Amino acid sequence: MFDLEQSRDALRRYEEALADGDRVKIVALVEELLDAGVAPLDIMTGIVAAAQRTVGERWQRGEWSVAQEHAATAMAMAACEVATGRLAKTPATRGRVIVACAEREWHWLPAAIIGCALRGGGWETTLLGPATSPLRLSRYVQDIGPVAVAISCSVLGALPTTRRFIETSTSAGVPVVAGGAAFGSDPIRAKALGATAWAADAQGAVDAVAALPVVVSSVPPLPQAPAREQAVLELSHRHLVDRIQQEWSVTANSEPGPGQATLRAFARDALPQALYSVWAALLTGDTRPLSETAAWMADLLASRGLDAPSAIEELTTVLATVLLDYPLSVELVRDHFRLR
Amino acid sequence: MRKSAVQAGKRDGVSSHGDIAGRHLDQMRRQQLEEAVFELGGSLNVRRTALQLADLVQPDLADWTMVVVADCGTGELLMLGDADPAGVVLGRDDVDGSALGRVLRSGHTEQVDGNDLKTLVPVEPFLASATALKPTEAVALGLTARGGTIGALVMLRRGAFGSEEVAFAERIAARSALAVDSARLYEERSRTASVLQHSLRLPALPDIPGVRLAARHRAAFEELEIGGDFYDVIGRDDDWLVTIGDVCGKGVEAAAVAGQTRQIIRTAAHFDREPAAVLSATNNVLYDVLYDSTTTQFVTVVCARLRPLPNKAGANVDLATAGHHAPLLLRADGLVEQVDVYGTAAGVVADLPYGTRSVYLDAGDTMLMFTDGIDEAWGEAGEYGMERLHNLLPPYAGAPPETLCEAVEQDVMEYLEGRAHDDMALLAVTCLT
Repeated sequence: MFDLEQSRDALRRYEEALADGDRVKIVALVEELLDAGVAPLDIMTGIVAAAQRTVGERWQRGEWSVAQEHAATAMAMAACEVATGRLAKTPATRGRVIVACAEREWHWLPAAIIGCALRGGGWETTLLGPATSPLRLSRYVQDIGPVAVAISCSVLGALPTTRRFIETSTSAGVPVVAGGAAFGSDPIRAKALGATAWAADAQGAVDAVAALPVVVSSVPPLPQAPAREQAVLELSHRHLVDRIQQEWSVTANSEPGPGQATLRAFARDALPQALYSVWAALLTGDTRPLSETAAWMADLLASRGLDAPSAIEELTTVLATVLLDYPLSVELVRDHFRLR
Repeated sequence: MRKSAVQAGKRDGVSSHGDIAGRHLDQMRRQQLEEAVFELGGSLNVRRTALQLADLVQPDLADWTMVVVADCGTGELLMLGDADPAGVVLGRDDVDGSALGRVLRSGHTEQVDGNDLKTLVPVEPFLASATALKPTEAVALGLTARGGTIGALVMLRRGAFGSEEVAFAERIAARSALAVDSARLYEERSRTASVLQHSLRLPALPDIPGVRLAARHRAAFEELEIGGDFYDVIGRDDDWLVTIGDVCGKGVEAAAVAGQTRQIIRTAAHFDREPAAVLSATNNVLYDVLYDSTTTQFVTVVCARLRPLPNKAGANVDLATAGHHAPLLLRADGLVEQVDVYGTAAGVVADLPYGTRSVYLDAGDTMLMFTDGIDEAWGEAGEYGMERLHNLLPPYAGAPPETLCEAVEQDVMEYLEGRAHDDMALLAVTCLT
């Protein structure tokens, strides 16, 4: 077993190698831990994922650029390859599970961890890379006939395709386990989208897959009015983001200067999340994504030295104006896109 | 949520599970079951469809079910059910002379006494689980579709089957058989297709001392996973040919030509790794290959001969192109350069000369090769364009090539916002420090 002391030491060494961008060192470290008998899943969750969280926080605080974050992700990918490569040497004893990320989902690491956990639990796994389309998933479901589909979803913007994934799987009778940050910390959103089960974490996914029924019926349609409004919002997404960007004083500022590039990057990466939170609430009936996204954006703004509470208040007003033609969304934004 | 109609019926209509004798299926329930048969069509996987069928008839029509499906190619029998959802395979000969064998040959229903289970349930663990049920009667219905009997539905009951119930079950079996047969046909086809598809998949990249390689590929038809874009890395030791290209057109036809082109380039490079020579040979061979083609007019390719330096960080690159985008160089300091090299697309005119351009990759420099699916990606604001690509790159200076490829792919996919796209491929070579 991996004790706390060893784990801290390994994490420190991993983070050092990450900061140096030293891939060779990272691969060697993972090999060393595996040779010492540390379980691949422990390496994935205790070291790789833990370090990625720190990287994410650094980005959020504005200390690391998106490029640095991406580079760290490439290192994590290398570490995962080594760990899963070792797992692949033990024979699988159970059926095959497809692990997939929906469109707009580029965070492949949580999916890789779920795949690793399931493989460790004896299941054969097929990992479809980041941002997979429903058609591609469908082909895999039909060709493989898996015992289950596991969907990892960490960004709210991937929930619409996640719902399509659930339709794809259940219409072939295949049960679905869903999990990830976009679902929050309880089963409400996963159940609302029609997932057969929800998993809180990697071990939860293993337990959930073991308890799934062999066959499920296809999911009934989502409530029509909000689902339709979400679909229209999605079609106008780019246009709406542009309008918000122009009307919100934080991103509208067009004066040239060193802060501009940062703000543009912020607008590009963070602004769509506000709209995604509206999508999520429309599709699942759960309004918490709105307040959670408002709080997340406030943190980002505060770390960039802006007056977060008033900026968020203004953004709520901008959103309500821009979304005027979408009655359910306006109501959601007015009531829930705010700091608590 | 799941099992909406069917499950609700199961709860309402059955008072104590396992006692089916005298159970009366009302009209509504029958209708629900007949509708549920439509759902079977949602699966094109034989095993999944069979499991769905087993699930559907249990417990309304039977206390225990096993679905038998004959394999298109081998004729082997696959037995599936709750007793073993993974399934058990049995030779066709093994059921000769049994009641199950007769059903599979004639398609006609066989009804046997509960003491004579082995003639319908010939294999473990099904036999043990069926025996444990102590059924009064067993029935096997033929699954007949498109004129052939492709399998059987074996049902057991603790009570007796009424003739009217058997007739209803036969109707359900007849309709389900079509879904099972569709899945069989799909599987047969997809088996052939996946073998061919596998041979056209893009290759894994080799480890080359002194540099790191990464590539990404998205087919226009994403579910197909193959398309007209291709890349390849050929060579050994300190002398490599890195190539990326695009067959005009998309889908299976383009993928087939892409596979041929890769082989042509491999063969040409076997004799001479000089990019201009490789392209001249490729052009001439493709000219013959494409002469009668109705789907492909030309192929664009760029070839880079890559020679990492033996004693220090750095690599010499000789480039030649046949109508393909020249690579972009992302220098370690963030400067983006476009290499000045031109040439005519391959396969249109025979005997063309190609020019070579040499560049030097220093430590931390990256050479990014890509296909026009990237810069011509069509979003709401029109084409993605080279300018957007140029502007995206500088912050990724010095980053690993995987990072660069992922960033470009993600940016283009987000730009597309779910719109259709052409085949896309990216290949990046980073010179290690």
